[in-house]
Amino acid sequence: MRVKGRTVAVSAIILVLLVVAFVVALCLGKPYVAPGDVLRSLFGEVTPYDVVVQRLRLPRVVLAVVVGACFGVAGALIQSVARNPLASPDVVGITQGAGLAATIALTSGAAAVVIAPAALGGGLLAAAVVLGLGARHGLAAQRFVLAGVAVAIALRALTEIVMLTAEPIDGQRAHIWLVGTLAGRGWTETSWLAITLLVLLPVLAWAGWALRTSALDDDTAKGLGVRPVARRAGLAAVGVLLAAMVTAQVGAVDFVALVAPQVARRLVRAERPPLIAAALTGSLLVVLADLAGRLLFAPTQLPAGVITAAIGGPYLLFLLVRRKS
Amino acid sequence: MKLIARDLSAGYGPRSVFENLGVELPAGAFTVIVGPNACGKSTLLRTLARLLPVRHGSVLLDGADIHSLPTREVARRLGVLPQSPLVPEGVTVRDLVGRGRQPHQSWWRQWSDQDSAAVHEAMGQAGVGDLATRAVDQLSGGQRQRVWIAMTLAQQTEALLLDEPTTFLDLAHQVEVLDLLGRMRDDGRTVVAVLHDLNQAARYADHLVAMRDGRVVASGAPREIVTAELVRNVFGLDCVVVPCPVTGAPLVVPA
Repeated sequence: MRVKGRTVAVSAIILVLLVVAFVVALCLGKPYVAPGDVLRSLFGEVTPYDVVVQRLRLPRVVLAVVVGACFGVAGALIQSVARNPLASPDVVGITQGAGLAATIALTSGAAAVVIAPAALGGGLLAAAVVLGLGARHGLAAQRFVLAGVAVAIALRALTEIVMLTAEPIDGQRAHIWLVGTLAGRGWTETSWLAITLLVLLPVLAWAGWALRTSALDDDTAKGLGVRPVARRAGLAAVGVLLAAMVTAQVGAVDFVALVAPQVARRLVRAERPPLIAAALTGSLLVVLADLAGRLLFAPTQLPAGVITAAIGGPYLLFLLVRRKS
Repeated sequence: MKLIARDLSAGYGPRSVFENLGVELPAGAFTVIVGPNACGKSTLLRTLARLLPVRHGSVLLDGADIHSLPTREVARRLGVLPQSPLVPEGVTVRDLVGRGRQPHQSWWRQWSDQDSAAVHEAMGQAGVGDLATRAVDQLSGGQRQRVWIAMTLAQQTEALLLDEPTTFLDLAHQVEVLDLLGRMRDDGRTVVAVLHDLNQAARYADHLVAMRDGRVVASGAPREIVTAELVRNVFGLDCVVVPCPVTGAPLVVPA
């Protein structure tokens, strides 16, 4: 069917909330900058707050928006393919694959520029293993998720071994990387992710359409002229690529890919997560998580990944309780 | 639209269900495939609908091999309703019927007025227009089956294959669905269904295909082929065949 009115309305509301959160995140902190000054600075006037707003806060908030969008879309794609709200890149091993590769790179004295490509490769490799295990059964939902959870646990254990056997200082660096943070990151990471999203834009347009048959069983889909296994593989590949790319740039901001698509799905009352609403919800979540991490224990800054994980745990419980009723 | 299976072999895993099977399904007719459990009738339908790959032989759709045509092109000419399809959670009737338009769409041109018209017409034909905004998973079995048929109608194909469309329905709803399939044949479509009930098959079919152990035992007009001997051959059941008091079609009464 056409895009439903409710989907448009919900997306518009989340977008408004995101814009508000965006401005608030630029205002709050030390020093506090009034919203009027923030807007004046953003729209090109010279203000005394230009350094704080434009150099310190803006890159980080923009990065939060892009990171959240990537996680939201990646989660929506993988959950739709797996037909399971628990199947997100941080549950089925993609994040852990990126983490292991990054940990190996960080503890083996590799150059800083190698970390992100290594993490990207690790994430893709882990996904290939999981999809390979699941593909033997035509990427059927349950097997794929179980294979992913098993791979995630194994990779996590390997990461611990690498960290604990490394030099303490390297282990510490790896630990900081593993908990995703936006602190000290900005335009470089944003541009990589923005380029990825732009390049994938036509693919995402295809995905939004192709997802409409993802909730149908294989025979019904085949009857409609769809090759369901190929289509699932394509959709999963896009989700995996986005998830690995964003994790490589900012580390594991856990649970955003898990929570954002399901929140969006519930709000629009659809049978699967809507891509645009999931992206916006992800952005809103990461902007707020990063803001909370900055303010809650100031001057100590908590990584955004810690905040999102703190939200994600109870959310998982909520999902488990809800499913029974 | 005519479907012909030539020298067809198919099966699951190492198990072969039928070998070198030949069958012709006439154009514009309502064909029903019958036979005992595990005779291969559903497997035949799934192979004819290219849901299952062929091992040998070919399925010809107006002379062209269905398994080598692009699957989207086939989907514009041949609709399929599998046995008990999975209902997506929370999807509305109109939304599900709209998925029937998939083979006519592409990602850069996702929805047109033609699609809306086809969905509207299909819901009307299947009698589910009043349910358009209801959630499919909250409908009764009979309503739900009509929604699925509406989805395949929205596909606007000349031929339609259905795998046991009346299973799990009560008698009134079975008749409702069969009447609907009869009307589709009257509109000029080629309709092929696998049915369990031999009497319903004999009443509604223009052309009957009786199978046993992966072989076609008999095929033809029900009035010509349904005899006590055939029923004994196919189902291993002793019976008396009498004319149906309503339609005159052969009626099988166990002896």
